[in-house]
Amino acid sequence: MMSDQQIIDGCANHERKAQQILYDKYSHFLLGVCMRYATDKPEAEDILQDSFLKIFSNIKDFSGTGSFIGWLRKVAVNTAITHYHKNLKYRYHIDIEEYVSVEAGVTSFEEDFFTSDELYQVLNELPTGYRMVFNLYAVEGYKHKEIAEMLGVDTNTSKSQYSRAKAVIREKLEKLGKLRSSYPGSV
Amino acid sequence: MSVRELFRQKLGNAGIVPDPSLGSKLMRIQARREFIRFNPGRFNIFYLGGILVAGITAGIILSPVSKKQDQLTSSNQSASVSNTISPDNKQVSGEQTGIQKSNSISQSTSESIKKKPALSVKGPSVSKSPQRSESEAKNNFEFTLINDTITKKGLLNAQSAEMHRLAGGFKSVDASFETSATEGCAPLKLHFNNRSGSLDSCRWIFGDGGYSSGKNPDWIFDVEGEYTVVLTVFGPDGSRATSSAVITVFPKPLARFEIAPEKPVLPKDEIRFFNYSTNGVRFSWDFGDGNKSELFEPRHRYDKFSSYNVKLKVSSDLGCSDSMVVMNAFSGSEYFIDFPNAFLASNQGPTGGFYSAKSDESLQVFHPVFSGVTDYQLKIFSKLGIAVFETTDINIGWDGYFKGQLCDPGVYIWKVRGNFRNGEPFIKMGDVTLIRN
Repeated sequence: MMSDQQIIDGCANHERKAQQILYDKYSHFLLGVCMRYATDKPEAEDILQDSFLKIFSNIKDFSGTGSFIGWLRKVAVNTAITHYHKNLKYRYHIDIEEYVSVEAGVTSFEEDFFTSDELYQVLNELPTGYRMVFNLYAVEGYKHKEIAEMLGVDTNTSKSQYSRAKAVIREKLEKLGKLRSSYPGSV
Repeated sequence: MSVRELFRQKLGNAGIVPDPSLGSKLMRIQARREFIRFNPGRFNIFYLGGILVAGITAGIILSPVSKKQDQLTSSNQSASVSNTISPDNKQVSGEQTGIQKSNSISQSTSESIKKKPALSVKGPSVSKSPQRSESEAKNNFEFTLINDTITKKGLLNAQSAEMHRLAGGFKSVDASFETSATEGCAPLKLHFNNRSGSLDSCRWIFGDGGYSSGKNPDWIFDVEGEYTVVLTVFGPDGSRATSSAVITVFPKPLARFEIAPEKPVLPKDEIRFFNYSTNGVRFSWDFGDGNKSELFEPRHRYDKFSSYNVKLKVSSDLGCSDSMVVMNAFSGSEYFIDFPNAFLASNQGPTGGFYSAKSDESLQVFHPVFSGVTDYQLKIFSKLGIAVFETTDINIGWDGYFKGQLCDPGVYIWKVRGNFRNGEPFIKMGDVTLIRN
């Protein structure tokens, strides 16, 4: 069983075995990350593949500061953002939006009430811009100012997209929750 | 819990099983990339790097004095960076600058700055340290055990010790040396000046695995760390003395960046620069259009399309730096527009210039082949300068008619101007022969 440091050293030397082990060890986790940013699994797998290619080329520069898995995650998130920018068909004025006030939701959710698949589905159904902002803020933990930099939008746009994303998500979860309780047999 | 907490808890560390074919596909792509890097059929910087590596390795094996070159490490780096840059762009792995402290004498350094030890010693392996076969019992100096690995502590000593052993009447040797600096940025090139008294021969051990028997050698320390350099001087009658000094080599930052999007449209697109540099704390970007930035990952908008060279210089807190340049970062070479030099105008009357693969079989419409054209204007003139055709629609060619009449056979001049999808403008002209059917 190879340690992370051995894997890193092996990959830095372009050893196939180390690269394979790195993939086997971390592909599930990284696909979980990419899946949050994509609209479907094939797209997530595209992003995953590009992420690993980047990881293999840049791994010798992982200096050991910070956790290895944190670095891997960062490469995957950056690859997802590059993918997002590449696929934008219309680049005009996407960052200018009217601010629509959104009521703060009151429902609170039980963790075990939803499966991860259902939550992925909710994310996949969001408009892409909302999904990017929601992931970066809520799951990755970046600040709106940083998100604005990364996505090329205003800080205010990041904030408003986040509120709207949450509102849409909340609606979908409530619908799911209601749906579930009217079919008591399904889990 | 809130929406945010719900997603963070459940999906933050969730895993999904990828399609089983993905892993093998990835490994195949990676293997192909690595093969391409060293493919001898492809003459580029990396091939040159490969030749240098081969030549130097051969030189090292053959020569009695081991010398390492910094091309070894930098050619490896330039080869590996290729994966992130598209093949059209040239990219140069950067120059290193370092700080060199001024002159110092070997015996003096009593403070040694403790840096973290280097991870590995790169470069060809050289022979082990020489045997110390003679007994040193009577010598009243200490010395560090020198071998291939990097020593952490500095030890300075030096004195000739032979006076005790030799009877009077013999001239004793004494060892001392100078070097141009005792610390600096990797790769650190130093010149060692032998200040010992008269000597028959000498031997230098550089502490990173290399040695020399020259009198005033040069040496390059490629890897960060602390090294104890020991000079052993042999006098007549078997006398000898040693002297040592500690050399501190600071880590080298590595400048590395990626530009997104990969095929941008200038000036419309805002360009993002992703920074993968290491060991750096200060960043100095030059976007090639006169603008600069000191941000870690800046965004920049260009005023117009042009070929820009983007450069990043990274500096560490010890003053070492590295830079990377991407030349012509935004050129798209797969865009083109070309015209034929002759066509067979039909005498059946004007067709309006619409063309298709079918109509091309009879060559009856003069039109371009192209890729990636967004703006277009074509004008055709007779040899006397009369404009016989003009269009801004690339899907309409010239059927050879002017004002309803078939033009005379002969040579006509065409001029085209427009823009490619990435903003790059084009202007071309040429001639075409109208052949009457």
